Amino acid sequence: MATKKKTKAAIKAKAKATKAKAAKAVKKIKKAVKSTAKKVKNDAKKVIKNVKQTVQAFKTSGDIVLLLKQGVGKPCVPCVKKGDKVVVGQLIAKPQGLGANLHSSVDGVVTKVTDAAIFIKSNKILSSLGQIVPKTIKAKKDDMLACVTEAGIVGMGGAGFPTGVKLSTEVKDGYVLVNAVECEPILAHNMAQLVRYSNETIKGVHYVMKITKAKHGIIAIKQKHKEEIEAVLKALKGITDIHVHLLPDIYPMGEERAVVRECLGKLLDVNELPSAANAIVINVETVLRVYEAIEFGRPAVSKNLTVSGKIKGINNGVKVFYDVPIGLKVKDVIEAAGGIDGKYGEIIMGGPFMGKPCKLDDPITKTTGGIIVTEPFKDYKGAKVGLLVCACGANEDRLKDIASKYNMKVVDVEYCKQAKDPKGNGVYKCENPGNCPGQALKCMNIKKAGATEILISNCSDCTNTVMGSAPGLGLNVHHATDHIFETVGMEVQRHLKKSKFVEGPIPEGCTASRNPESNEPGGINSVSHAGGAGGVSADYSKPYVFREDSPEGEILISIESGSDISVKWED
Amino acid sequence: MSISAEYAQEHINDPAVLCCRREAGTKLSHHDFEDPAIFDDLVSSGLLKLDGAITIGQAMGATLTKTLDSLNPVLKDCVDKVQEAAAPAAVSSAPAAPASSNQGATTSVAGGKLKIHIGEGKGIDLEIPMGLAGGAGAAGTGASAGAAGVSSGAAASAGGEKVVRTLTRKHYNITEVKRGKETKIEGTTLYIRKGIEEEAVATQELVHDLKLDIITKDKYHTYSETIMDTQPIATKEGDSELGSGVTRVLDNVVMLLTGTTDEGVQIGEFGSSEGYLDENVMWGRPSCPDYGDILIRGTVKIENKKNMERPGPLAAHKAFDVITQEIRMALKELDDSLVVNTEKFDQVRRPGKKKVALVKEIMGQGAMHDNLILPVEPVGVLGAHPNVDLCNVPVVCSPLEVLDGCIHALTCIGPASKEQSRHYWREPMVLELLHDKEIDFAGVIFVGSPQINSEKFYVSRRVGMTCEAMDVEGAIVTTEGFGNNHVDFTSHIEQIGMRGIKVVGMSFCAKQGALVTGNKYIEAMVDNNKSEAGIENEILGNNTLCPEDAVRADLMLKALMAGESVKKPEKEWNPNVKSQNVELISNVTGKPVELVKNETSLPMSEKYKKKYANAK
Repeated sequence: MATKKKTKAAIKAKAKATKAKAAKAVKKIKKAVKSTAKKVKNDAKKVIKNVKQTVQAFKTSGDIVLLLKQGVGKPCVPCVKKGDKVVVGQLIAKPQGLGANLHSSVDGVVTKVTDAAIFIKSNKILSSLGQIVPKTIKAKKDDMLACVTEAGIVGMGGAGFPTGVKLSTEVKDGYVLVNAVECEPILAHNMAQLVRYSNETIKGVHYVMKITKAKHGIIAIKQKHKEEIEAVLKALKGITDIHVHLLPDIYPMGEERAVVRECLGKLLDVNELPSAANAIVINVETVLRVYEAIEFGRPAVSKNLTVSGKIKGINNGVKVFYDVPIGLKVKDVIEAAGGIDGKYGEIIMGGPFMGKPCKLDDPITKTTGGIIVTEPFKDYKGAKVGLLVCACGANEDRLKDIASKYNMKVVDVEYCKQAKDPKGNGVYKCENPGNCPGQALKCMNIKKAGATEILISNCSDCTNTVMGSAPGLGLNVHHATDHIFETVGMEVQRHLKKSKFVEGPIPEGCTASRNPESNEPGGINSVSHAGGAGGVSADYSKPYVFREDSPEGEILISIESGSDISVKWED
Repeated sequence: MSISAEYAQEHINDPAVLCCRREAGTKLSHHDFEDPAIFDDLVSSGLLKLDGAITIGQAMGATLTKTLDSLNPVLKDCVDKVQEAAAPAAVSSAPAAPASSNQGATTSVAGGKLKIHIGEGKGIDLEIPMGLAGGAGAAGTGASAGAAGVSSGAAASAGGEKVVRTLTRKHYNITEVKRGKETKIEGTTLYIRKGIEEEAVATQELVHDLKLDIITKDKYHTYSETIMDTQPIATKEGDSELGSGVTRVLDNVVMLLTGTTDEGVQIGEFGSSEGYLDENVMWGRPSCPDYGDILIRGTVKIENKKNMERPGPLAAHKAFDVITQEIRMALKELDDSLVVNTEKFDQVRRPGKKKVALVKEIMGQGAMHDNLILPVEPVGVLGAHPNVDLCNVPVVCSPLEVLDGCIHALTCIGPASKEQSRHYWREPMVLELLHDKEIDFAGVIFVGSPQINSEKFYVSRRVGMTCEAMDVEGAIVTTEGFGNNHVDFTSHIEQIGMRGIKVVGMSFCAKQGALVTGNKYIEAMVDNNKSEAGIENEILGNNTLCPEDAVRADLMLKALMAGESVKKPEKEWNPNVKSQNVELISNVTGKPVELVKNETSLPMSEKYKKKYANAK
C-alpha cells in the first residue's frame, strides 16, 4: 500500500507546481520556487508530470552560433559573409552532398564565418519563434518533398538525418511509423507537443504518408501517457489510415529498430534500415516541422526542448520550451529556465542515456532535445571499475568520462553480446533492443579483472540482468544515468519491476505491444492491413512440400517452421 | 549469455537456466538460456543453484507459468509442460574429463530405421547421408557407432585396397655387450671398440668428454645424469631406403644418451630426469628402455653455458652417433642365420574408407628442443635436417618412415611427456591407425612447435592447408610437453576443424597441463596422463602416448566421423573418465584394454617424494 501513499504525495506536489505556474511573471515564479526550494524525492512518474511549458523571451549573451554541421552529412557551405545583414528564415548555408539547408534563426548581422559556424549578432530580444514566422520557403506547397528539403529539416529525435533525403524513399503501401515514444526519461517536449499540437501533428503524418506513398500511419506512444494518447485519439476522430500503437515503459522502446519490431513484428538486422520492413520511422517533432514547412513555408530554425536538473525554480521537474531559436547558447536557455542552482557536476545535452556533456557556451542545434544540469559527482577515491558498454546507452568514451568524473580507475571494458558495430566506425547498434542476451559472463569477467565497481550503460532489461549477478559477485553497480536520476529525485535504474509488455485494457482502435503468448486484445496482428509488411498468413490446408530428392541421391528435408514435427525413416 | 540454437542442441541435457528475466507466458527458446559453460563459475560464486532444474531439451518449447529473473533455473513447476528431450540427441555415453580429456565409447544407432522428431522449431534443415540411412543395418553389431558409420561408408564405394609399400624388420638378439678391440657382433654378443669415445669426442668441438658404460638389469640402481635420448640400434640393409625395404635391429639393447656441462649443470636443468635409473625411468614406454634392456650409456660433458643453446645438445647427439654408427656398420655384416624374428609392416591405402591423417607436433623451439627429420639410417644423424632449420613447417611422412626411425629426437625438459627417438620407432598411434582396416590412413604430418607465437600460427595454417589438400575427413593431432606448445597445438586443431574435418587432440593435460588456450573445435581430447597426481613428475616417458591412448583416440575419431558427439569435459581433471571409457571400449570390442603401469610401480626417489607431496 506504500505505492498508494506515494501517488497521493505526487498529486499534492503537482498541485503545488500548478499553482506556481499560474503566476504571471517569470520573476514571481522564481521567487515562489525559491521559498519552497525543499528537495522532495519524487518517483519517475511525478517528474514527467511536473511539466512547465513555456513560450517566452530569451536574453542572448553574445552572438547566435549556427553550426555548419547540424546533423548527418558534411558541414554546409556558407552563402553569407561577415557584415551581411540577415533576416530570420534566410538561407545562410547550403549542404555539400548529404546534408540539409541552414537558415538564420534571427534578424541581425553576420559577425564571423568560420569552418565550423556562422556567428550572427542580433539586437532584438529573442522570443520563441512560434509556428508561423518566418515564411521564407520558395517551393510551392503542392511540391511537398521540395518544401521539406528546402526547409532544412533533419531528424529531431537526435539522429539528425536529412528529412528531405529520408522522405525521398518511397514505401509504397507501407508504413509511416511516428516515433512519439520519447523513451529517454526526463525529456517531455514530445509529449507536450502531442497535446498542444495534436491536430497539426496528425496533418504532418498525412503529409509524410503522401510524400512516401505509405498506406498506413502508426503513432507509437508509451501506454503510460494516458493524457497524450487521449489528445491524439481525439485528433484522429474520423481518420482511418492512422492508428496509435501502445508501448510498455521500457528503455529503449524508441530505438528505430525497436519501433519497427514493436509496431510491425519484424526484427531488423543491425545493418538493415526500416525500408526492409517497407516502413520509415520519423520522430514526432520532425513530423510537426514537415507540417510547418508545407503549410506555412517555414524553415527549420527552432527546436523544442526540455530543461531539467539543478535549475532554480524547476524543483525536480522539467521545463519544456517550444521553438527555441537554433544557435542560442546553452547558458541562455538555462538562464531563461531559472539559472543553475549552486554547484553542479556536468551539463548534459540530450537525454540521460544518450546525451553528451556540453559547455555553457555550446549552441542549441536542430537535434538538441534536452539540457540537464546534474549534481556534483561523488568521489570514489580511485576505486577499480569495470565498464559494461551497451549499444543503447552511453558509449565507451562516455562511460570512461563518467568513470573519471567519479574518480574511478577503469580496469576492464566489456561489451554487451548484442552490441554490434556493423560499419566498423565505432557506432554500435543492438541486435535486439530492450531484450537482454544475458550478462553473467561479462560481470564475472569484470570481477576477475579485480574491479569492485561496475559502471553500465545498459537498457532496462539488461540492467535488470546485471542486477542478477553483479551484486552477488560483490560488485557495486553504477548506471551511467545515476547522477542524472539522482539530481531530479528519480529512482536510479536497477531492477526491472514492470512488464516488457503492455498489460490491461487499451483504448479502442489502438494496437499494443502485447505478450505474444497472451490472448489479450490489441496485439499487432489484430489490426488488419492489406499488403505491407504485417499480416503474413499461411495456408495450412495445402500439403507442405518439405522433401527434395537430389540427383546425387541425397534427400533434403527442410521444415521452415512448425510444431510436433515427426520424420520417420523406415526400410 | 544466451546461446545459439546449434549450441543449445549440443547442450540439450544440461540444466536450463534463464539468462535474463523472462515473463510468465514466454515460450522458451535458446534465446532464453544461460550458457552451461559458465555454470561452474556461477555455482562456485554462489550466484546459481541448479537443484531441480529441468534440462534445456525439456525446457525448449515450454511456456513459462511465472515470471523469473536471470540466473534462475527452470523448475518443473515453472513451465506448462516438460518437453520430451528433442531429436538428434545422439548422446555419447562416456563422461569426459578436464580442460582436455577423453572419451572413446559411443552409443549405437538403432539399426534400419531413422526417426527424427522435432517438438517445435523454425528453419530446420535435415540432411541425411544415404550411407547412414541405407547401410547402418549391415554394420556389425556390438561395434561402436563410429565403426558402424565408417563401414557403411565403405559399403557405398567399391574401392579396392592397395599396398603402397612394405617395411621388413629383421631382429637380432643381443644378450651381452662387452668392450673389445673392434666393434663387432658375435652370436648374441656385441663388442664395442675400446677408445672409440675419444674419436667421438674429437668430432665435436663443443663436446669435451664422453664416457661409455654398459648397464645391465642388475645395475639399474645406478645414478645417471639427465637422459637426453633413448635410441634403437638399427640399420638399413643394402640399398633399402628409410621407410621401406629391410631394416636390421638389435633386440634387448638400446643407446642411452645422458649428459651435463663441464661444470655439472644438467642439459635442460629445469625439469630434468637425473637420478637413479630405476627410480626415474618408466620402463616399457614406447619412448623408453624396456625393463631388462642392456643400456649402452653415453655420458657427455659439453662446454659450459651451451646446455641451453642449440649447438650444445646437437653436438652431444652427433658425438654419440659416431658410436652407434659403428655398431650399425657391424650390424650390416651379420648373417641372416642370426635373425630371431621378422616383422612385416604394410602401408595399405583403402580408397572409399574415411581418410585420416595423423598430425604429430614435435618440439622446435630451438635451445635443446629440436628434431632431426629423415636421416639416412634409422634414428641416425647423417642426411637429416633439423626441423628448426626447416622453420617447423609441416613435413609429410609415410607411417612406415615413422616406424623406421625418421625422427631423431632432441628432447630435454619435461621428460615425462617428451617423445624420445625410440617412441617413433614404435609409435602406438601410428600402429593403431596402420592396422585399422576401417579407415584409409593417409600419412603422418610432422610439424614443429616454434618459439614465437606468430610463427606458431604460420605453421598451424600450413597444417590446415595440408589436411585440406589431402582431403582427409578426420585427423588426430598429438603433441608432447605442455604449456607453450599448447598454443600451436590448439591452433592446429582449429585450422583443421574449421575446414570441416573431424579432429581429435592428444596431449598430456591432467592437472598440471590443462590447456592454456582453446577454441570451439577442441571438443574431442585424449589425455595421455598416466601419473597418479596428474602432473609432470619427471619420470622419463611416464605421460607419453601409449596403446591405451591410441585406441581411445582412434575410436573417438571414428565416432566423430560417424556423426556422434563427445561429451564435454568436467571442470576438474577426473581420472575416472579415462577408466570408464577404457571399460566401455573393452566391453564393446570384447578386447580388454590393458593399462600400463605408472610411477607407483617404481621405487620412489627422494626427489619424487617431494614432488608428490607438493602435488597433493
